[in-house]
Amino acid sequence: MPNLKDLKTRINSVKSTQKITSAMKMVAAAKLRRAQEAAESGRPYTARMSAVIARLAAKSDRSSASPLLVGRADDKTHLLVIVSADKGLCGGFNGSITRAARKLIAEKQASGHKVLVYVVGRKAGVALGSEIADKIFSRIEGVQGSHLTFGTASEIGQKIIDGFEAETFDSVSLLYNRFVNAITQTVTHTSLIPAEVGATDETVADGLTASYEYEPDEAEILSALLPRNLATQIFSALLESSAAELAARMTAMDNATRNAGDMIDRLTLVYNRTRQANITKELIEIISGAEAL
Amino acid sequence: MAETTQLELVTPARVMLSKSVEMVVIPGSEGLFGVLANHAPVLANLQRGVVEVHEGGKIIDRIMIDGGVADVTAHGVTILAERAENLDTASSQEVRERALSSTGVDAEFLNVVAEAI
Repeated sequence: MPNLKDLKTRINSVKSTQKITSAMKMVAAAKLRRAQEAAESGRPYTARMSAVIARLAAKSDRSSASPLLVGRADDKTHLLVIVSADKGLCGGFNGSITRAARKLIAEKQASGHKVLVYVVGRKAGVALGSEIADKIFSRIEGVQGSHLTFGTASEIGQKIIDGFEAETFDSVSLLYNRFVNAITQTVTHTSLIPAEVGATDETVADGLTASYEYEPDEAEILSALLPRNLATQIFSALLESSAAELAARMTAMDNATRNAGDMIDRLTLVYNRTRQANITKELIEIISGAEAL
Repeated sequence: MAETTQLELVTPARVMLSKSVEMVVIPGSEGLFGVLANHAPVLANLQRGVVEVHEGGKIIDRIMIDGGVADVTAHGVTILAERAENLDTASSQEVRERALSSTGVDAEFLNVVAEAI
């Protein structure tokens, strides 16, 4: 028979947990709206940038093009950029990223590549721990959320370009959670080097490309644009990931709040039953005592 | 009413400007160039400078950009810039304050903007 005082303590502790989770849910929901807006208003830039790159890439000669665009023929080492959250308590958000990362690393190694990782956010580094200890190229924390600026993305991009030019690695890909809607996030894997070039846009179909003028010239524009494109892709991944993280946290905390509610109901039932049983027992004792007289 | 061309100025954070304009002057890496309606398609590197939107012979918008690329097509002009500030709506004091709270290239660009206002 559980004792009443313990039950009461238990109920109170679940109640305070519920207060915390529901507060976290509301905070996440408020921040999510801002992050979602940021992610959505960042999309036009990314889309237009890819369109310009696609057009230039379609025109340029594959053999003489920048290795940033077409990659190196001799692809030995691969850099995987993993974008995770700095904080936990957001459901399967970090779990799905680390699972995908583990799988990709295994695949790359199976195909004979050496793998390096660039860890963005604290959680993936913690979760992968010793598995990637000898593979770390670089890591960065505390850049997501409200402090996120394009400057941060440029710095990460510059570091990757420096590493690529120093031939530390020959290809780069990016792994992040993409924000779909408040309850869905999908793990997305895109190639950064060689640049992933989308389908050529409508201007090419117009047959306008022939009369296009370039100032100063194609190669120079491309070489100025490719590092920018890299930074843009990283920036958009960071924005998406921040929004996805908040959405995941909101859902997780909503579930936690509901679970806590269920648990309080169950415990209250047990508490009331126990109290009633005690009263009945005492009554029986009094009555049988009185009868014995 | 003169013929107009669709101008879009986009930064990673947002679409800063999207409207029909008579003429826009763009700071190309090879020098300033003006774009009117039906301009020949050009893809140009840009340097730090001021994008001027002209209407009825007057400048109606001045936006400082920190380099980027301009894509002139039959559909209009798209300017992609990593950093951009509207010189007419911002106050130099407010820009200076933001410069103090940011770092690196961001801060440097904002200081230049504050000077230009």
